[in-house]
Amino acid sequence: MSKNKSGIWSFFSSVRLAIVLLSLLAFFALIGTLVPQREAAGELAAHLSPGLFSFLQKLQIFDLYHSVWFFLLMALLAVSIIICSLDRLPMVWRRFRMRPEPQNENAFKDLTEESAFLSKSDVSKAADIAALLLKKKYRNFARADEADSVFLCAQKGRFSSFGVYIVHLSLLILIAGALIGSVFGIEAYVNITEGETVSVVNLRNGKQALPLRFSVRCDKFTVEFYKTGAPKTFQSDLTFLKDNKVAHSGKLLVNHPIEFEGFRFYQSSYGAAPGGKATLALLRSDGRRDVINVGQGYAFDLPGKEGTFQVLRVEENLMKMGPAIKVAVQSKKEEVTFWVFQQIDEIKQANPEIIQQTPVFNPGLFRPYTFVLLGLEEKYYTGLQVSRDPGTPVVATAALLLIGGLLIILFSYARQIWIRIDREKDQVHIRVAGRSYKNQAGLQKEVRYLIAELKDNLGNFK
Amino acid sequence: MINTTILSWVTFVYFAAFVFYLFRMILGREFWGKLATGTALAGLVAQSAALIIRWIASYDLGMGHAPLSNFYESLVFFAWTIVLLYLLMEWRLKNRSIGVFVVPVAFLIMAYASIAPGINQKIEPLIPALQSNWLISHVLTCFMGYAAFTVAFALGIMFFVKKAAGTNSSKSSVFIRLLPSEHQMDELMYSCAALGFIFLTLGIVTGSVWAHYAWGAYWQWDPKETWSLITWLVYAMMLHTRLVRGWRGKRMAIMAIVGFACVLFTYLGVNFLPSLHSYMA
Ligand code: HEM
Repeated sequence: MSKNKSGIWSFFSSVRLAIVLLSLLAFFALIGTLVPQREAAGELAAHLSPGLFSFLQKLQIFDLYHSVWFFLLMALLAVSIIICSLDRLPMVWRRFRMRPEPQNENAFKDLTEESAFLSKSDVSKAADIAALLLKKKYRNFARADEADSVFLCAQKGRFSSFGVYIVHLSLLILIAGALIGSVFGIEAYVNITEGETVSVVNLRNGKQALPLRFSVRCDKFTVEFYKTGAPKTFQSDLTFLKDNKVAHSGKLLVNHPIEFEGFRFYQSSYGAAPGGKATLALLRSDGRRDVINVGQGYAFDLPGKEGTFQVLRVEENLMKMGPAIKVAVQSKKEEVTFWVFQQIDEIKQANPEIIQQTPVFNPGLFRPYTFVLLGLEEKYYTGLQVSRDPGTPVVATAALLLIGGLLIILFSYARQIWIRIDREKDQVHIRVAGRSYKNQAGLQKEVRYLIAELKDNLGNFK
Repeated sequence: MINTTILSWVTFVYFAAFVFYLFRMILGREFWGKLATGTALAGLVAQSAALIIRWIASYDLGMGHAPLSNFYESLVFFAWTIVLLYLLMEWRLKNRSIGVFVVPVAFLIMAYASIAPGINQKIEPLIPALQSNWLISHVLTCFMGYAAFTVAFALGIMFFVKKAAGTNSSKSSVFIRLLPSEHQMDELMYSCAALGFIFLTLGIVTGSVWAHYAWGAYWQWDPKETWSLITWLVYAMMLHTRLVRGWRGKRMAIMAIVGFACVLFTYLGVNFLPSLHSYMA
């Protein structure tokens, strides 16, 4: 690759720019945590003048992470990483291709005393032992023999120089994945009452509705509590319908999303839905007993055609006295409304006068009937998060590459080792030298280890 | 509960270990050093036992989850990872001088967990969002990262202590002479920051995977997420300034301290920021 060091190229290939960009990104994120974003920005609007607020809004201060500034920063970062990597690639490639030569005067130039020793042995034997050691521990072993000297060399960890490339490439993929997500992704939510079916969800930004090409029914919602009152599990039984035919059904739990037609559904909240069903017994003074299921707003004819009654309200816990429903009965003569409590017997025990004091609490206000509330069936709605993010697999790939690259960087490094053995009178002079661009401390440790091994093996050999 | 009783005793054990490390540094006798290491190790063993007891107790209470689920448990676990990492380092490096700066951090965290008002020491049931296998891997990796950053921070402080004492080592006290050389501290600081960076990366990734399953988005710019990104960026800068621009010594020490401030803010400070991440209505 020709090194075209134009102004722009050197601007982008400088690591100083990288550091500036990283600190800008950090600063950006910092601002984003201090200034309320998106929905939360609404509160701030009340405290600012409308002019200032709309100015800030134009600057996209309230949606920083989706703003032009943010995309610009990401683009600069990507360009910087690409150019910087290309700029250094020839050098890294050269280092990768380079095989050490056994004879290398430079390597032994500034050798410390502890990297050399004298031993009573002969050159070729010492060389064989050293060769064995190097072959066992390293790659690309090479040897050169001269009259009174032997030169050995080997290397290891050549591929580790690409760890940094994997890391930076993973960042590019990450940026691409995030971009795909923010352009093509969908974030929406929907609340479905038990028994109901929806085919439209609400987008989180812009408050628009998004019609789906299928519909979702919540058959049942169940919630379990711990003794402390905190929720233990909540679960929606969902059915997915396509062209009015059941296409899929399943249980949706927190941490266990369901995927359907590219959308993922998440259990995110729940609540009591208005209009639970009440089971009501109608006792007539002649002994007739009817049991009916009613919901809010239901209107019925009384069994003996004395009139019609209607359920006005269904309350799970009215004035801390338990479940109750409010009914209105209309006959030709009169219209009465009153409350029917489930625990009327306990209420009467606690306060025997209650019916006299508060006639609307009398379940027998419309003769000849007495209404008895047998039970309330609670009705819930389930809150679902609906999302689609085609960038997710891209981001996941990037994350794996990032971790892999970091592990390579942390746990391996490239180094070259030279051993030189010279005859000196009746002894041999053994010297060990190493070179590494990155990990001096690790290299020194290895050299010490090699010296110790050589001393040991030569000693045993005698 | 027996586990919280043990844990409050562990607080004092770590304090004792700190005092022994200090004696060693002042008196220069290795006896105190050995005693300090033994004490810290005993504290770690007792703390591990307490954590296991707590884990079992949660099963007896019908909840059954690793002791990593509320603020108290996370503080205790934080202290545990710091002491574990430190003792591993002491063993590998054969150097006890870092202990006098690291162990007090573990002690302070334990003390905070034991006495700070408003910290619930009870075993609490897991809300549905926390019922995930990713919880353990997420908390484990994050706190290993935090522990490594804590050691880097301690080294940064040590660096300035040594620097402030001046270069004239013949006149300086035993304490200063026992500290590693500036060069050694610089290398160690970098190693710790790099280790922490990997663990923090793993922590962020596991957290994202979990969020992907629990909330439907791997990243939501929630303040905690954002601050972990800021922390990550600060350490990324630290690695780059060192490797490419050749920053060493004092500048690295400053980065280690700034980075640790970000860690603390990610861990504690974000509670004071407005959060959109209201999962439980
Ligand atoms: C969030 C963004 C980034 C992260 C997480 C990151 C991560 C890393 C890591 C982990 C290393 C290796 C450190 C080591 O060898 O121990 C590294 C080295 C490096 N990075 Fe980055 N980097 C980022 C952005 C950039 C950018 C934008 C540039 C471009 C200018 C850049 C240029 C370099 C260079 C030149 C090296 C040194 C390579 C070597 O040692 O030969 N980095 N980076």
